Amino acid sequence: MILRIRTIDFTASGREIVRLRDVDTAEITVGRASENTIHLPDLAVEQQHLRITPQPNGELLVEAAGTLGFTLDGRTSTGGAIDPERGGEVGLGSYRLEIGRADDGVPLITVRQITQDGGELKDRLRGFTLERALPSRRIMSWAALAVILLAFLAIPVWSHLHRPEVEPDSGAHGQEIGGNVLMDASWRTGDLSSAHHGLEGQCEACHTTPFVAVTDQTCLTCHEDSFDDSDHANPQRMANGRAPFGAGEQLLWDIAQVFNKPGPGACTDCHTEHEGAGAMEPTSEQFCADCHETLDARLTDTALGNASDFGKIHPQFQALVTPTRGAEAQRVSLDDVRGDFGGLKFPHDMHLSATNGVGRMANRLNPGDGPLDCASCHTPTSDGVRFQPVNMEQSCEGCHSLVYDQVGSTFRSLRHGNVDAMQADLAAADRAPRHPVSTGRQRPGMFAEGGIYYGNFSRVSSAGLARNALAPDGICGECHYPATGSGQLAVVPVVQTSRYFQHGWFDHNEHKQEDCTTCHAADTSSKATDLLLPGIAICRDCHLGETASEAEVPSGCAMCHSYHPRAGAAPASQSRPIQISARDPPRIANRAR
Amino acid sequence: MASRVSGRANKRYAVDEARRDEDHEGFLRHKGFRWLWVSLLVCLIAIAGYAMADVRPRPNGGTWMGYTLGTVGALLIVWLALLGIRKRNMTAGRWSLKAWTSAHVYLGLSLIVVGTLHTGFQFGWNVHTLAYTLMILVILSGLYGIFVYATLPRAIAANREQMTKAQMLESLAALDRQLETAAQPLGREESDLVIAALAADPFRASAIARLTNSYPRCRTDAALKGMASSAAGEKVIALLRKRRGQLAQIRRHMRLRALLDIWLYFHVPMTIALIAALTAHIVSVFYYW
Repeated sequence: MILRIRTIDFTASGREIVRLRDVDTAEITVGRASENTIHLPDLAVEQQHLRITPQPNGELLVEAAGTLGFTLDGRTSTGGAIDPERGGEVGLGSYRLEIGRADDGVPLITVRQITQDGGELKDRLRGFTLERALPSRRIMSWAALAVILLAFLAIPVWSHLHRPEVEPDSGAHGQEIGGNVLMDASWRTGDLSSAHHGLEGQCEACHTTPFVAVTDQTCLTCHEDSFDDSDHANPQRMANGRAPFGAGEQLLWDIAQVFNKPGPGACTDCHTEHEGAGAMEPTSEQFCADCHETLDARLTDTALGNASDFGKIHPQFQALVTPTRGAEAQRVSLDDVRGDFGGLKFPHDMHLSATNGVGRMANRLNPGDGPLDCASCHTPTSDGVRFQPVNMEQSCEGCHSLVYDQVGSTFRSLRHGNVDAMQADLAAADRAPRHPVSTGRQRPGMFAEGGIYYGNFSRVSSAGLARNALAPDGICGECHYPATGSGQLAVVPVVQTSRYFQHGWFDHNEHKQEDCTTCHAADTSSKATDLLLPGIAICRDCHLGETASEAEVPSGCAMCHSYHPRAGAAPASQSRPIQISARDPPRIANRAR
Repeated sequence: MASRVSGRANKRYAVDEARRDEDHEGFLRHKGFRWLWVSLLVCLIAIAGYAMADVRPRPNGGTWMGYTLGTVGALLIVWLALLGIRKRNMTAGRWSLKAWTSAHVYLGLSLIVVGTLHTGFQFGWNVHTLAYTLMILVILSGLYGIFVYATLPRAIAANREQMTKAQMLESLAALDRQLETAAQPLGREESDLVIAALAADPFRASAIARLTNSYPRCRTDAALKGMASSAAGEKVIALLRKRRGQLAQIRRHMRLRALLDIWLYFHVPMTIALIAALTAHIVSVFYYW
């Protein structure tokens, strides 16, 4: 069979030399040896590398002569048939044998050498990876590094160092005012508390000097009038009262001081910021317990009981009471209290009874309202924290009438609270024409004048009324004690204490869901001197220490106490923001009365 | 005597086998998961410390526990990033690259726990959360890397069909040379189609095209569609089909390589970005101390 072999060579100058020859053979051999039909001078080619045998159906069978294979259309192979009509390419070493058909129909084998540049191939192979499709990791890394360091470090630092010096301004209504440092909002670790919300954008107001912690001095820039060094206790006594640190705590403080943290006892120890919007986090009871848990061991002369946890270590409450008539008001533990003299005779049990005369009278005067209850006399203050003093005219006089005369349809009452006016009214009463007591008609028999059942409804002598007013059954003496010594008609002043606990805070409003009698045993109290205050045990039904998970209301010290006491102001509540009342409500209402 | 010889052979076999096993032990199973246990221990200590530490008023990065966890985390991040330097020096033994890589993987995973506890679960739009987010993204990309390193090489080997990448290209080149010859009798329009197909570089493909293996504007496909059937056309069409098959193999390889490599394009730049954000995070905290 005739086959045409076309050999393409290149001269040194790169010119192509094409040689054509026809061979008529049953088998074409290909290899490095010169006796082969196609001689390929390439060391990568075997001496006898492959045989090409024309088949009866016109295909050319290509087989490896030795063990080394070749590539057939680029794929490694040791044998295969190529139809010259369809074409195919055999590769061995650097040579390619392209099999096809010449124009005259003779099968054509074109032999050419491929110059393969190793470096170029390597470069080509890189195309398989993503390197070609994406920017280099190095460039991306440098870009990210530069952007982040510039935006989040260089700009804020530069801007902080070159900021204009201005006074911090917390805004007219606490609204946020932008600061003078660029991009430092990206450093904010959390929102400020509502108290400092106006400073939200002005980090430099507190963070004044680079790498220096916020000091007490910084806080006092705005709070200089609010506190002084000794508002909690004498600084020297506080220093003496603080328990020595344990090893772990000492280590932490040592490390903190290496980093220039102020303290212990610095403002920022208790008042942590950037804890999120809303009220500032109340101070943990541990801060108080650091000193107060074993205070008596270090301050042996202290009047304060040890306290560390409301449920475990806390002294019994001390109430401000007047133990006996004429005594000075003093704070007495509820365990030791004998009574509280308020200058009034008032049995709570009698007034709260539903079955006695009081109850029936209340029923008759206010049908449907039932007997008296606490709210009949006790009205909360507007903030609901405490109660207004009981007012005689509103609460008592409905039953305890001071009417002494009727003129026409007008009832004349004595003026409560003013003895001189009372005496003047009574004296004047005798001079006025009065409604006759008897009609002049006689009653018969033993009911007649002189009979044993004669009722002598004579005129009330106003002078006698005044004279007997302070007797135990007298119009005043029924509720009041007569004041002695002045030689004049007078009663002992009434004191209604509106706040018994001077250093603790109790908010009635927060306890509205409880009945009054849960804490105040008024329904069994028969004397006005009974101090109807609940002891710590009753509070502990619901309130235990901050960490007491079993408590209905875990309660830290700050729920009732304030480190910086401000008279009349609630401590930092755990449920509500601090409310500083504009005016100071009187601590003891009516004391001067 | 024979038993002694066979005994010695057995022993050598066992030694060889042991060595082979050790050689074949991947970085994940290195030394019986040694670093997995170390990492779990680190997590356990961090969680126990977080749970037991009485920090006030609430856990966050600014408490003593927060600073401790933050310091551990920052040191870990720096050490983990050093793998980029370490991997360029291969050594064996205790500090072999395999041991280092194993520790890199497991200690890197423990950073999820250490880093998250350091935040005290407080997040915001700030450089601190940026650093945390970058850290998590780096870890997630690393997890993806481990996953593909474990699964894709088998698929790549299967796709190769005993061919090297050079052979795939050579095969394509062989087909192109034949196409060039076979297309000689074609008319202008069809010739242009063949020229376009031959000129298209298979590697001129976007990252998306590589990852999805989707080439809607493939010139070879277009040439096949536009080719009229004629005697000369038949041969060219057959060659174009072969070319399409070869291209498909190359493109599958490119897809698998892209899936295998893509994580590093996130892992490495984001690690550098993380180091930058971490620097800004630490400096800013002390700057506004």
